[in-house]
Amino acid sequence: MAAEDLQQLRELVEFLKANGIAEFDMERTDLKVRLKFAGLQPAAPAMDLSHLASAIAAQSAGASAVAAQAPVAVPATLPGATPVAAAAAAPAAEAGPEAGAHIVKSPIVGTFYAAPSPDADPFVRLGDRVSNGQVLCIVEAMKLMNEIESDFAGEIVKVYVNSGQPVEYGQALFAIK
Amino acid sequence: MFRKVLIANRGEIALRVINACKEMGIRTVAVYSEADRNSLHVKFADEAICIGPPPSKDSYLNIPSVISAAEIAGADAVHPGYGLLSENANFAEVCRASNIKFIGPPPEVTRMMGEKSTARQTMKNAKVPILPGSDGILESEDAALATAERIRYPIILKAVAGGGGRGMRIVRNKDELPGLYAQASTEAQNAFGNGALYMEKFIERPRHIEFQVLADEHGSVMSMGERECSIQRRHQKLIEEAPSLQVSPKLREKLGKTIERSLRDIGYWNAGTIEFLMDEDGEIYFIEMNTRIQVEHCVTEMVTGVDLVKAQLRIAAGERLKDIVPEVPEIQGHAIECRINAEHPEKFTPSPGKITVYNLPGGNGVRVDTAQYAEGVVPQYYDSLIAKLICHGVNREEAMNKMQRALSQFVVEGIHTSIPLHQRIFADEDFRAGKFDTKFMERFLGDRRKA
Repeated sequence: MAAEDLQQLRELVEFLKANGIAEFDMERTDLKVRLKFAGLQPAAPAMDLSHLASAIAAQSAGASAVAAQAPVAVPATLPGATPVAAAAAAPAAEAGPEAGAHIVKSPIVGTFYAAPSPDADPFVRLGDRVSNGQVLCIVEAMKLMNEIESDFAGEIVKVYVNSGQPVEYGQALFAIK
Repeated sequence: MFRKVLIANRGEIALRVINACKEMGIRTVAVYSEADRNSLHVKFADEAICIGPPPSKDSYLNIPSVISAAEIAGADAVHPGYGLLSENANFAEVCRASNIKFIGPPPEVTRMMGEKSTARQTMKNAKVPILPGSDGILESEDAALATAERIRYPIILKAVAGGGGRGMRIVRNKDELPGLYAQASTEAQNAFGNGALYMEKFIERPRHIEFQVLADEHGSVMSMGERECSIQRRHQKLIEEAPSLQVSPKLREKLGKTIERSLRDIGYWNAGTIEFLMDEDGEIYFIEMNTRIQVEHCVTEMVTGVDLVKAQLRIAAGERLKDIVPEVPEIQGHAIECRINAEHPEKFTPSPGKITVYNLPGGNGVRVDTAQYAEGVVPQYYDSLIAKLICHGVNREEAMNKMQRALSQFVVEGIHTSIPLHQRIFADEDFRAGKFDTKFMERFLGDRRKA
């Protein structure tokens, strides 16, 4: 690797470390950036990623006409090559507050929303007691908002996903004890 | 060209499409049921999304799940493979409405060619030779009797909405007709919710000849030559070859041109196959069209040098056929494909389970399309095809010799496969001499029982 490229790579690594990014993926041409923050991430990333995108774009030698399209920073949950996926799909609760808890899994593929509308309060929060059949969230699929009901009664001890996050069939949404 | 394609299928064809995409620099998204979590198509795609529990109807056939997956992955296009949703016009329509390019013909054309009696009528109007038969649905038993008199026995009654052999009865004389008409109609009503029947001339010893076509979205259509698929058991193909020894260059050209014209007339797009029956006198008759890529597309690829799946992607992206296949391809050599199924080679019982040993043959002119691997599991929920073994030689003799050698080196343990059956077929004198028709397997298996 050329010295210049190595320097840019170092800067990138420092940037990622400084912002607590645990995982990072990138495509070229029609730039798509995928990030996973260590721990629970905010619904809307606080930082402005367009700057990062142009910095990365500038580095890629020979990448002609990088699309002006802003990078999509999607908290990484789409399974595939990354190990993140396996954890998300695993039905067994890990050690911690969710040990032995019942996992509510998504019955459909779509986009998870914690609240009925963008400015409303979420259906449920960590610590809430919920009953069997209570609406916990919405998973939007093909423009239809599907209310997901709990199949268990108890206390919400973990929320696995964030609003706007894509979820697959069987993906863990909540842990209830 | 598409940035990202979602493959709405599984098994070897999903991997086949993923391979073509990777070679073209297109990102791939696999979808899978819980039973296919460790599948090769999932492992080798760039992204993968679980879309449901094992049963196909809840996963691979679940249109909302597949479309939702395409949406969250940001796919520009969907390749439906074969089977599953590939000939589902509703699915193609939902793709269109969702702004996702469906890699195949327009839904209206799929619908038209999917309905057997409509397809016959369409081809008849385009002067493609069709099997003599009723002009559309039989209105009554009397209409059936009259039609049978006109086209002459033996005839076959078939369900308009049917497939897979159900709602079908062969009638050899007019005394049998009333009873069999009632039976076929009832069976069709129960199986497909539609008891309507049509009638065709029945050929006792037909050969199954099909033509591969490619059509762009600008009105160009090209025939890619034929395949012969006469070795079938219960309407399921076992062995396919290209070219057919029964098709002369003159017939290939003449029929090719007729087909091209008919598909231009109906506005066909993308890949497709037109199926014919050839009677004992070498006369050829249209039976149906498959508006998708087929399992046996590989033998055509081997003799023409054209990558049909890449062609599908390029056509769907708007490219012109003259840029994809500049000249009518010459048929070079001979290719044969054996479908390797996870089933007992004599009892034909399905054999799902874990593969413990999986050694694939290789070498000059030997191709294996498979999504299985050692320690892989064949689930019980889907069809039994685990691999396709394709051999290409300078002529049929060489292709057969390669196939025998390759079959002997295709070692699979842990499950039963049809490999031993294929080995016996390739040792059969009649098969080797090219003396067969669609009844071959019945005779072959019948003789073995007596032996």
